[in-house]
Amino acid sequence: MRNRDSRLTIAGRELSGLRAEKTILLAIAIQLFIAAFSSFLVVGLVSMYDPGSLGGAEVEVAGAGDAVSDLERAANEVGGASVTRYEDAGAARLAFDRNAADAVVVANRNDDGGISATVTAPDATVETTVIVVQLRDLLRTYERQERADRAASLSESPLPLPERTGTSPYFTFTYTVLIPVLVFLPVFISGSLVVDSITEEIDEGTFELLLVAPVTLGEIVDGKALAAVAIAPGQALLWLLLLRVNGTPVANVPSILVLMTALTTLVVALAIAISALAPDRRAAQFLYSIGVLVLFGGATAMAGGPANAVARLAIDSGDATTTALVVAYVGIAAVAYVGVRTLVAENGFEK
Amino acid sequence: MIDRLRRILRVARWETARAGGGVDRRTLLAALALLLVAGGVLGGGLAAGVVGLDVDRDVYRVAVDGDSPYADAVEEAPALTRVPVDGALLGDTADLVVFDGERGGAVETVAVRASDTRKGEAAAAEFREAVEAHNERLMAVEENRTAAFPITVTLQYIGRTSGLEEGSTLGGDDGGSGDSSGDAGGDSFGGGGDGDGSDDSGGDGSGLSEDDTADGDSEGDDGGFAVPSVGGAAFGADTVGSPGSISPPFPFVSLLLAFVFLVPMNFLIQAYGSSVLDERTNRRGEPLLVTPLSPVDIVAGKTLPYVALAAVVTTLIAVAVGGGALSVIAVLPVALTFLAATFVGAMFARSFKELTFVTVGVSVLLTTYAFVPAIFTNVTPVALVSPLTLVVFDLQGEAVSVGEVLFSTGPMTIGAALLFGLGLGVYREEDMFTQKPVGRKFLDALAVRLSAVGGPNWGGRSLRARLRALAPVAFLTACTIPFVFVAELLAVALLFALPVTVSIPVLLVTIAFIEELAKSIHLYAGFERGAFARTDRVAVAVGTASAVGFFLAEKATAVVQAVGLTELYVGRAAFGSVAGLEGLPPIAVAGLFVAPLLLHGFATTVAAVGASRSRTYYVLTLALATLIHAAYNFGVVRVYA
Repeated sequence: MRNRDSRLTIAGRELSGLRAEKTILLAIAIQLFIAAFSSFLVVGLVSMYDPGSLGGAEVEVAGAGDAVSDLERAANEVGGASVTRYEDAGAARLAFDRNAADAVVVANRNDDGGISATVTAPDATVETTVIVVQLRDLLRTYERQERADRAASLSESPLPLPERTGTSPYFTFTYTVLIPVLVFLPVFISGSLVVDSITEEIDEGTFELLLVAPVTLGEIVDGKALAAVAIAPGQALLWLLLLRVNGTPVANVPSILVLMTALTTLVVALAIAISALAPDRRAAQFLYSIGVLVLFGGATAMAGGPANAVARLAIDSGDATTTALVVAYVGIAAVAYVGVRTLVAENGFEK
Repeated sequence: MIDRLRRILRVARWETARAGGGVDRRTLLAALALLLVAGGVLGGGLAAGVVGLDVDRDVYRVAVDGDSPYADAVEEAPALTRVPVDGALLGDTADLVVFDGERGGAVETVAVRASDTRKGEAAAAEFREAVEAHNERLMAVEENRTAAFPITVTLQYIGRTSGLEEGSTLGGDDGGSGDSSGDAGGDSFGGGGDGDGSDDSGGDGSGLSEDDTADGDSEGDDGGFAVPSVGGAAFGADTVGSPGSISPPFPFVSLLLAFVFLVPMNFLIQAYGSSVLDERTNRRGEPLLVTPLSPVDIVAGKTLPYVALAAVVTTLIAVAVGGGALSVIAVLPVALTFLAATFVGAMFARSFKELTFVTVGVSVLLTTYAFVPAIFTNVTPVALVSPLTLVVFDLQGEAVSVGEVLFSTGPMTIGAALLFGLGLGVYREEDMFTQKPVGRKFLDALAVRLSAVGGPNWGGRSLRARLRALAPVAFLTACTIPFVFVAELLAVALLFALPVTVSIPVLLVTIAFIEELAKSIHLYAGFERGAFARTDRVAVAVGTASAVGFFLAEKATAVVQAVGLTELYVGRAAFGSVAGLEGLPPIAVAGLFVAPLLLHGFATTVAAVGASRSRTYYVLTLALATLIHAAYNFGVVRVYA
């Protein structure tokens, strides 16, 4: 009973320090900023790349050349572009120069049966990207139709495409990037807090005061880790609830929280180990930054990394593999923490 | 002067020796080992094929028969995972079911059924892309090249020869999308075209206001602030290939490389922040403070090694990624701002924990501020507010005018200098070693720069002496302009995505609040720290001085018009008081020119009177001033709309 109390006391001391400095508010503000800004970025980029997703944009193409009728056929199938026929390339170019058309496509049949299309797009305006994206759509449709006409010469004909449906690319981004980022930010913050908390106490000499008190080194470590791990899931939950209010339902919230708590424990264990090994705070923070970068960089790149696991859980595409992953992360975190704690309790923070 | 330089260099040498000991060889070796392990694992994984940065791996479940040709397409798309059709429950175990109409060995039609959710729609779109990619792969192995790729596309970018507007068809989407970025983008383009047109015809006929003339001048002087002419080289030379190989012009690689410049900054400010805060813990900095060295010498000396390191690292990166001197020149102000913001943070922070949050905050804010505008490098001249845009230009091998370089790097350099000035204000014994909340330290740092106004001897002073005492008030307000500009820019960017009906009112209030806060926070500091006597007369005097400082600085910069930010609809609302005055009678124009001064004066005086009473009064009057200001802005927007 005494043990539990002293750990909780140390954890409470850590938390009250955070409260006094209101740093947790700053942390949440930073996270909010990241979330808002990445959303802004994606909406901005998406509207540049996929004007159709916002509706309305249509590219006016001045067409010329002897294959222009096929181009018109393709344009009928594509929503984002319409082709106006001009007599020759010069007339089409004139229309382009007069701003009557957004782009020029001159399509001519070659001797070998192929078609060569010369595309002219305006230079250096905000519309260029939009126009080129729509043109690509048009030309790919054109290519598909021409292929179908030549199917006899192909050993394997291309598969028919399903109907085009409207969707927002923002949807995939939300689940595969935004949610993992928001869930993992508190993890890094907690680890960083532990590094600061330990190295600062050693630096200012208050750590020795703590050791004089009737607590063991292991309990001090437990208390500090407990405080750092405890504040993480709340922040993640806050983001997930905020997203739900915003109309993005997140599935499997308990599993996600378990996974992120396990990762927080893992990162906190790493932070404690680094504070024990590094000679001072500067070195400790430096090593911690690199360590976290390596850990998460590596874990994200691997199949079944935590970011992907969170994405699959959140979008409700989890299966037995994701459940196994969550269990595995919990196991790894427990082993890592117990290992680090034992080492530190035996050897102390050697300085 | 030489003496001073020598003193600074001595501190710099001392700092280098100390910092060199801080991160010892063992730590560096450990970091290197970590990186090597990571590199090895990644390399091994890449070789074994289990590594891929597919964050969207297997997020959509597609039910398709194992022997259907579509199964291959699904298997090869990372984002899709195949589930068996038997027992697949739409919306529960599968998001999409594929039925292929197979007849005589060849697939002729395909139908999909998606669950009736946004996830189902997204899965269907992803599936369509997967089939397209699959087809491209099928065709790539075909022997008959003309049948597989019947169309060869040559893509060229050409500038239009005349600036005549004949109703560009894309403009039509203004009405259609109506709410977000597409609209704003269209507007900004249209605005650019308009500007060109009027330049050619020599003004657009109506009585030009002073503001408009200023606008025209600043654009005419260096021409760089108008849409920079991005030559064909920006998008690469003409490209030839199949339609699938067309890629929209986007400086992705240059952008990625520009980001590389920002990465070392984060480590640099960690070390720098620790070093500054180290001085403050356990009164370690005291011996240095009692030496004849001035705080400026100490800080300059302590900062110099980090600036030098930043310059070296930046140069190395520039050499590595193929950038030139321009890249280094562009990145240095960014490095300075990183250091300056960290310096202020380390001077204000009470503990290393607090410093960590400050450092993270600085990194995030400055990285987004530097990086995000650079994304729009080839799109809009507003991108030049970030020096990274210059890096992107440099990497693309484009010429940049001196004006553009100055415009891009100037504000950040000034901002860095001002931040250092702010932090230096509290580089003194009574602030360095005390545990005051950040807010109070901030007020201290501001109050240091003010001189006494009011008080016992005030009545006997000459008018000149009084004005001299008020000058720092106006100067301090003028100094906030770059930060106000940045804050407003960020506000515009953040609210960009919201529908106009929501974003405009929120933006008007936010902008008004930012400006009112900038004009009155140091007044509050002056009253709280006893620099100003707490009387209404003093409040009116400092309030007016502050307003005049703000007004003059705002007019002097005229940056807003120069970058054409007013062409954006949201931007117009934000900076409405300075744009679009044509078409009004001269008296109204003159009135509108003076009106902002009156508004600033009145609103700031209101806030100053509150600040002279107490904190509660200050908060209330600040809210009142914000409302007055917002109401005025709203009126201005209405007039122009």
